[in-house]
Amino acid sequence: MNTRLLMTMHVKVATLVNIGAVPHGTRRTASLGGGTFEGPRLRGTLLTGADWQLLRSDGVLEMDLRFTLRTDDGALISMSGHGLRHGPPEIIAALGRGETVDPSTYYFRTMPRFETAHPAYSFLNRLIAVGSGDRRPEGPIYTIHEVL
Amino acid sequence: MSLSISSRPLMILRLTTSATQDIGSTPQGTLTIFPVTGGSFEGDRLRGKVLAGGGDWVTARENGTFTLDLRVTLETDDGGLIHMTFTGVRDDANHYFRTVPRFETAAPKYAFLNRLLAVGIGEIGPDGPVHTIEEVL
Repeated sequence: MNTRLLMTMHVKVATLVNIGAVPHGTRRTASLGGGTFEGPRLRGTLLTGADWQLLRSDGVLEMDLRFTLRTDDGALISMSGHGLRHGPPEIIAALGRGETVDPSTYYFRTMPRFETAHPAYSFLNRLIAVGSGDRRPEGPIYTIHEVL
Repeated sequence: MSLSISSRPLMILRLTTSATQDIGSTPQGTLTIFPVTGGSFEGDRLRGKVLAGGGDWVTARENGTFTLDLRVTLETDDGGLIHMTFTGVRDDANHYFRTVPRFETAAPKYAFLNRLLAVGIGEIGPDGPVHTIEEVL
């Protein structure tokens, strides 16, 4: 699969709200407390958003994220995505304790999609992307590649 | 931290479809439904047939692209049933046809499908759509 770097996104998590046990697993919501993104073709800041997370019974964390991005030249971009995170129990436990863990030791991938009305960024409306996540204590870092 | 995305082949999925159902112009675009009548899939770790009854809901957007929304059931050669969906983009002007498949199964042998993300490269073959699907590692 051929890809090229689209952006690196640093997300700050503001609050974690534990919804608790729901029929499909354990649900919690991580709301966005800001952040930045930067790549060869776009850069800017994160406005609002959240990641609606579901811890499934098979131990996989499913993510459903929606962020609003604002580029440095004022364009608004809506990003949404589905993701999965799982790994060895001791690694997931270390993440839960807020430790920084080598991201190659667990699986943390997302499939972001973008929507924008701004002509300079309309290429985002037409592409599929893959994000590789690195969970840090303050929030995840996503390295997002365009699928070519 | 790795700055590239690596992948490995998961399967080649071939679909057969029947006459389209042209829903027409809706607030989201022009919707055409492609009923799936069958097909096959084959990879190192799984192979089998596509059951009839699924479909691909294809919406033509104002920017000239199509968005895809597919649901099918796969049956492996050893009897496992796999619910497969994908969304995707088809942009013929740029020869870009990519999908994001997801899988759900209760068959233990294929539980690995519940835990992976995948990307498909699509093309329209003489007998119908063909999707080369890779697991994102």
